[in-house]
Amino acid sequence: MNFALGKYVPYDTWVHRMDARAKLAATILFMVAVFFPMATWTMTLVAQGFLLLFVSFILASTKTRLRSILTSLKSLWVMVLFLLIIYVLVPKATNTLGVAWTWNGWTVYWDSFAEAARVIVRLVMMIMIAMALTSSTKPLDLTYALQWYLSPLKPLHFPVEEVAMTISIALRFIPTLLEDAMRVMRAQSSRGVDFAHGNLWKRITGLTSLIIPLFVSSFLRSEELANAMECRCYDPREKRTKYRKLHFRVSDIFLLLAMAVITAGIITISAMKIDFFALMGIVAL
Amino acid sequence: MPINLQDVTYVYNPKTPMEKKALKGVNLEIKEGSFTALVGRTGCGKSTLIQHLNALLSPTEGAVVIDSFHNDSNKKRRDKKTKDLRKNVGLVFQFPEYQLFEETIEKDVAFGPKNFGDTKEEALEKAHRALESVGLDESFYTRSPFEISGGEKRRVAIAGILAIKPKYLVVDEPTAGLDPSGAKDIMDLFKKVHEQGTTVILVTHDMDIVLSYCTDVIVLDHGKVALACKPQDLFGTEVEQYSLQTPQLYSFASKLESRGMALDHDAVKDVASLADEIIKRRNSR
Repeated sequence: MNFALGKYVPYDTWVHRMDARAKLAATILFMVAVFFPMATWTMTLVAQGFLLLFVSFILASTKTRLRSILTSLKSLWVMVLFLLIIYVLVPKATNTLGVAWTWNGWTVYWDSFAEAARVIVRLVMMIMIAMALTSSTKPLDLTYALQWYLSPLKPLHFPVEEVAMTISIALRFIPTLLEDAMRVMRAQSSRGVDFAHGNLWKRITGLTSLIIPLFVSSFLRSEELANAMECRCYDPREKRTKYRKLHFRVSDIFLLLAMAVITAGIITISAMKIDFFALMGIVAL
Repeated sequence: MPINLQDVTYVYNPKTPMEKKALKGVNLEIKEGSFTALVGRTGCGKSTLIQHLNALLSPTEGAVVIDSFHNDSNKKRRDKKTKDLRKNVGLVFQFPEYQLFEETIEKDVAFGPKNFGDTKEEALEKAHRALESVGLDESFYTRSPFEISGGEKRRVAIAGILAIKPKYLVVDEPTAGLDPSGAKDIMDLFKKVHEQGTTVILVTHDMDIVLSYCTDVIVLDHGKVALACKPQDLFGTEVEQYSLQTPQLYSFASKLESRGMALDHDAVKDVASLADEIIKRRNSR
């Protein structure tokens, strides 16, 4: 099974030790930086290359194994194919890299491929940073971080606590549901269901034999959980204390600052359409 | 042919911080035609072991040989046709009632036979006979499996495996959560199945059941086979070290013996057989 994405791996690296709030903010800053377009292709190459190196460094620091990175990227190939076809089929007006081929008056520019590659690299980076975040942060800490960021909305009667509770319950039950799914899968495999092979119809009936028991058990679980919460007098309007407190440290501020500088730099270069290579040319002249 | 486990080792999540060795070189033989109990404390590897018996898991090291099927750690020597194996080895998981999904009970029970290649009529015929053997009459056939009681649901689920007519039947704690009379009904059902020539492998924590129903017992402790013998021989040893409990009946018989009553230990299986033994001794005196 491939669920490397979103699975916390309990190592003790500096990324793991960082404050969840800092990591969440840094991730969002990084995602913003990834999506800013550059003036020329060479600049794009430099900027995206730099970001890719950066995220690779972070991900390597979390001790995530290369195999699990590759398996979570493997599912992207359909996307890659789709993007390539779309970009090649849709005629592009811009031509900066030259003509790839002309066929019966239908011209394909190298730009199309570059464009597709850029989108794919962006997606890969998004997946990598998300992996770095989720593999190094406990889901509960992430929820606390989110709650902390949303807490200014409280005076506006935004249900911060309820949203945080909903999210933390949802996150908490991902492994449980996965385990349930595996259990039902094993039981149905013992009854001769083959989830991986066979014709489409067989696979669909195989899937129903998995989904219906899962639905039934998750409804049962939710009812049990609701009862358990009520037995403990859960009241969303009541003020709740926390067992684990989040702590900002110097290293957190340092990383946040570094990330902010990188993002600001990328935005500036993008907004001002600066081309270092052109500048260098001017200087050389 | 017996089921053979040769040096079976199984590791969960290898090469990660969550790595856990569940089985550490298990060597054992389960005789054909036996009613074998698999006992041991929680987390000793029982559930991992039984999943090797129908190739839901493959050993990390070693091999499991069932008839002509090789479930080997070496992929080249491992047989691929798991379907034939799963038809021969029926596996009833713990709380099997969670795997029901069809609209009617007869359809749910017929699901297994149909997956193993029976036509709809053959499968329904087998389903009806399996339902009869678990004590559910015609009035249940067209009812929904979600509207019957918990004990009945479990019987339907067990019928779902019996309908496949496996040569080996593996059951994981079939009596968990049932009332004493329901538990007895279920165990009598397995006894009947065993008498019809099926090899039954039973995972249980209930030593009374082991004493009254089983012909052999295998004790697992910390992923290794601690003991493989007859139930009567097991209770003669210090069973507390495996966190098992001597059945009351056995202690009672031993006390009678220490007071001078010579009993045939192998014949004492339940209250009725103990009474028979006592009467026999009296008459011979």
